[in-house]
Amino acid sequence: MNGCRVSRPPSEDELLGRACSGDGAAFAALVREHQEIAFRTAFLITRNAADAEDALQTGVTKAWLALPRFSRGRPVRPWLLAIVANEARNRRRAEGRRDALALRQAGERTIVDTTPSPERVALASEASTELLAALERLGDDDRLVLSCRFLLDLGEEETARALGVRRGTVKSRTSRALDRLRRELEESHV
Amino acid sequence: MSELEQRVRALRDEIAWPTTPALEPVLHERRRGHRARRALVVALAALALLAAGVLTFSPDARSAFLEVFGIRGATVVRVDELPRVDPVELDLGSRTDRATAEQAAGFELVDLTGAGEPAAILLRGQTVSFVYGSVEDARIVFTQGRGTLWDGFVKKVGATGTRVETTEVDGEPALFVTGDEHFVMFVDANGSVTDERTALAGTVLLWNRGPLLLRLEGDLTREQALELARSVE
Repeated sequence: MNGCRVSRPPSEDELLGRACSGDGAAFAALVREHQEIAFRTAFLITRNAADAEDALQTGVTKAWLALPRFSRGRPVRPWLLAIVANEARNRRRAEGRRDALALRQAGERTIVDTTPSPERVALASEASTELLAALERLGDDDRLVLSCRFLLDLGEEETARALGVRRGTVKSRTSRALDRLRRELEESHV
Repeated sequence: MSELEQRVRALRDEIAWPTTPALEPVLHERRRGHRARRALVVALAALALLAAGVLTFSPDARSAFLEVFGIRGATVVRVDELPRVDPVELDLGSRTDRATAEQAAGFELVDLTGAGEPAAILLRGQTVSFVYGSVEDARIVFTQGRGTLWDGFVKKVGATGTRVETTEVDGEPALFVTGDEHFVMFVDANGSVTDERTALAGTVLLWNRGPLLLRLEGDLTREQALELARSVE
């Protein structure tokens, strides 16, 4: 009987094994899976797209060089995020241009309601704008922890590694940051 | 999850994130501010320090990296001002014969047949250079060594003065660099990033041939360099 061979994409562990043996293409494939979230993490930290790109570039290069020391069996993403985020922190400037987070144009956003009235669209947009503005008014620590946890959807452990703090700190900081965000929103309605 | 957490999470899809850069070689020019370049200088210098421990420049070198290009096995870094280097670091090694060079390099040497017989064969570590003209007055230097894969995460980050063009030699990616003296960064046979100043001012063609990273330096036009490169056997 002729067998039917089904090709499947290589698993992360397979790619990792090949990358550890010096296969740059395998490493590039591994990185491609996570480069968007790594770049966004770097952007949230640096608030400058060019600096975030440099952080990503250098972080990935360092990850490649550190690959022989990476323990197989562990997930790649938290490790890569930690390296890129560390590079991003090194580039965060006290002064200079810092890009604010902005919402996409209304026409570019996903609208769940298929027949939204103009009023509903306007209200939703206003609420999002208000929320983002409140988030932006928070201090760096608060803003970063909420951004990592909710805008990037990182877990507590990944957030801890990206921010270079302990997991318990992420927990407590998230709780406090949410309280402050809530107060910011309330005050903006006063 | 609280309502507020849900609302913040819902913002995720509404944010105008900057476009994630491609990590493949990016060949567009991107002007950078001095501070950004400075940061990159320090980052790359620190990286080289960490990775290789073999440096021809120091982290506080007054150079600003303007470009980083990559092909498999190599990255070309262009600088505002070349860092000071000890003359010994420009040395292409000791004069030797072909058999000794081949044995030390650990691979079968290829020949630049279009340039004829080299005036000298120089060996440094596992890198072999064929010198044409004379050692004192080299006209062409053809260097060969092993390079490990380095594709997918190199880029050009700015541009002044010198020019870097991508091209091909026998279907393999190549870079043709014109202008001032250059640095070449590469991943050596041990997997370490190292870098060295090119031997000649003028033009440099870098390309891969199987596991080898080949480098042709001289005062050549792109066509001349490519023609010579295609004569490699």
